[in-house]
Amino acid sequence: MKGLSALALGGLMLAGAAFGDAPPGDLEAGRKVAGLCRVCHGLQGVAQVPIAPHIAGEPVSYITRQLAAFRSGAREHEMMTVVARGLTDTQIADVATWYSAHTARASLPPGADGSAAPALCVTCHGETGIAVNPDAPNLAAETNIYLATQLKAFRSGKRRHEIMSGIAADLTDDEIRAYADWYAAMQLEVTEPGAPGPCGAAC
Amino acid sequence: MKTTLIGAAAAAVLAMPAFAQGADVPDNLEKLGNFQTTGTTEFTYVPQEGAFADGIRKTLERITLPEGFRIGLYAVVPDARHMAVGPQGIVTFVGTRKDKVWAVTDRNKDRVADEVKDFAPSLKFAIPNGPCFSKDGFLYIAEQNRVLLFPAAEFFYESPDVAAFNLVKQGELIPPEEESYNHTARVCRIGPDGKIYISLGQPFNVAPPEKLDLYREVGIGGIIRMNTDGTGREVYTYGIRNSVGHDFDPETGDLWFTDNQVDGMGDDIPPGELNHQTEMGQHFGAPWYGGGDVRTNEYAGQDVPYDVVMPAVEMTAHAADLGMTFYSGSMFPEEYRGAIFSAQHGSWNRTTPVGARVMVTHVAEDGTATSEPFAEGWIDGNGEYLGRPVDVAQLRDGSILVSDDLAGAIYRIWYEGM
Repeated sequence: MKGLSALALGGLMLAGAAFGDAPPGDLEAGRKVAGLCRVCHGLQGVAQVPIAPHIAGEPVSYITRQLAAFRSGAREHEMMTVVARGLTDTQIADVATWYSAHTARASLPPGADGSAAPALCVTCHGETGIAVNPDAPNLAAETNIYLATQLKAFRSGKRRHEIMSGIAADLTDDEIRAYADWYAAMQLEVTEPGAPGPCGAAC
Repeated sequence: MKTTLIGAAAAAVLAMPAFAQGADVPDNLEKLGNFQTTGTTEFTYVPQEGAFADGIRKTLERITLPEGFRIGLYAVVPDARHMAVGPQGIVTFVGTRKDKVWAVTDRNKDRVADEVKDFAPSLKFAIPNGPCFSKDGFLYIAEQNRVLLFPAAEFFYESPDVAAFNLVKQGELIPPEEESYNHTARVCRIGPDGKIYISLGQPFNVAPPEKLDLYREVGIGGIIRMNTDGTGREVYTYGIRNSVGHDFDPETGDLWFTDNQVDGMGDDIPPGELNHQTEMGQHFGAPWYGGGDVRTNEYAGQDVPYDVVMPAVEMTAHAADLGMTFYSGSMFPEEYRGAIFSAQHGSWNRTTPVGARVMVTHVAEDGTATSEPFAEGWIDGNGEYLGRPVDVAQLRDGSILVSDDLAGAIYRIWYEGM
């Protein structure tokens, strides 16, 4: 178990280096907190129900910010508001550390051309939906209806973000569905903390 | 037989020209309504054998049932939600909370499906959770914000291009600005009056006061009904939080429905509900009541402006009662005839998970109802879900199907005797 933790921290530091995050929480404590999340988001951050997003490998800062927003009421959701209401700052830091310590990789589905990715989205969310901006979540392999629902929430003002509110404001329903379909079709691979990546020793 | 079916479909088209002529007919509906091809020729087929299916069979070994009953894997169906068994017994349609409807066929009639493919692949669905059939073979699919109608679906499903029409156009089931992903899994049934009944969950944990007038008018947090040509829409049921299962008692014609109750009040309150409606317009308590007679904190102490019907059965708190069906078969022993079989999806944030089982409810002559577990064992010793039942449907041979959207499967339960 100690070995696993050490490896996991190593992985975390790599992930952190990319986005400048320092791991603020405790990995093992975070895994326990994730017991509150796993029925919907999975213990490894791979969603078990279509109404929930995958959260494996999201930056600590992103997860922390969303949980704080649900807790304060700045962002509302029938289930997340109930869960976040009971979380302490330490629990939020721990669980963000746990899910962030996972590695998410995505690839195009067979036959897809990366240049067909939605131009409005790729600057922050990448061609395959692995975010290239630490303020943006991964979108790879999320359910298309989940993505469309979020875009519509930004469009209507139910959900607000300094960049997304403007981008979503003028989208049509058909554009929203097309962008959502693109990212939903990606193939997602998640690696647990401490586990060798899918590329193994070649990494 | 084929001639008869084509005739029925063509007659349906002639009888409903309005469906094909909407100003903003979406996707390929216009072409499909005119029996044209859309160019989509590819089905997605779901493999039915292999390690994945074997894993599900292993789980089923630990499911406990009353003596004489057996459970087996009927089909691998990703994200399987509510089911509609074709009236001719040819195919079972299965909804999802994603973008697919699955068509499940047992071609060799060994009571195990041997083909699972997507239905109407040229259409873009959004949360097509709720399929239901009329007796004359019209398939309805209730989505997030649209209801589609497929004449003679049991015949046309073999082609990627099926005849399809709007019953309720996109954006007209609820106001588009009220759309949500949560509590948006619709279910439908054709009532004994020939009307279609559609559940409309409300998206909040507890609906806020400023939404109540709109919700009452539209039927959100309720069940609506309309004629099967789309006219005559009216709200049939009020005061529901999020019902994802209803059926009509074949004896009395009364509507029964499950309801999912308020979260965040503790592990053991409020109770889940199985409700019995005896006339149009009855109110079942939400949001003043959170489940049973437990008042919500948000409306504590306020006068309840309606006469409220209390549940026929208070179910285990947070067990998430979803799909249900009255048993009208003859395979099961006498005590199960006329009983309600219903699925508990299982709790999502309870300290110790509860539910994830099939319940049976016996309704006595005086109308009193009692529920007990019928099939259980989908929660392991670590509190982890091995499956989460969603809906129950009856096959023509009197066995029942149970859908599971976590495992992505449909099980069949049959009676073999002692």
